[in-house]
Amino acid sequence: MARKIKLKVSPRLLKKKSRKSTFSGRKSCRFVLNPEMVKLIDYKNADFLKNFLTERGKILPSRISGNCALYQRLVAREIKKARVMALLRYTAE
Amino acid sequence: MNRYETLILSVPEITAEEVSKLEVQLNKMVKTSKGNTISFEKWGKYRLAYPVRKNEYGVYFLSRFELPNEEKDAFFSELKNLFAIKYHEIVMRNIVSAFDKDASMEYQRPRSLEEGPQEDFMNKKRDSRGDFSDDENDMFAK
Repeated sequence: MARKIKLKVSPRLLKKKSRKSTFSGRKSCRFVLNPEMVKLIDYKNADFLKNFLTERGKILPSRISGNCALYQRLVAREIKKARVMALLRYTAE
Repeated sequence: MNRYETLILSVPEITAEEVSKLEVQLNKMVKTSKGNTISFEKWGKYRLAYPVRKNEYGVYFLSRFELPNEEKDAFFSELKNLFAIKYHEIVMRNIVSAFDKDASMEYQRPRSLEEGPQEDFMNKKRDSRGDFSDDENDMFAK
């Protein structure tokens, strides 16, 4: 009876490792890179703020949008103001 | 002197007469508070993101003014009462925000129905990768 050869590195671990290597590091905040873009964050500028919403109308997490904490707070505040004025949706219908 | 702006959302059936009345009333109030009116703009008719008081459409107005610091509390409580009582039938929502004296007066706003069709982001189709097809990706590339 042939003995099963045990792989030292399991295929699952290999897969996990390859996934890690493709991770490109933390995204940088676009507002820090482009200080001119900061003035676009305004509750009246609903078209710009729509870029920070999911298709269901939720606010995108900074993990996805890459915003730093300061600008994430600013964006979230302006989105909430725009929602009050019915410029943006609270949720998808 | 501090600068403030108020965005007013009114019912779609507002008449030109009512608009001029509202503008005159605002100017008068600012004047009595020893301030200056900077601008009063009509944005036009918009399709609202959700129905407000069962209205699918609304008309936006943006008013900007300067006020001395000691008068602002009295002014804003009066403004609140004005919209809530006298213009209750016309004004659906309003928001007041302060802006910096050095900040530029330019701003961007969505296009109104009179200017052209609005882009419906929520119903925009995604491509095979699950990304939104056009301008959103350009913005992320910046």
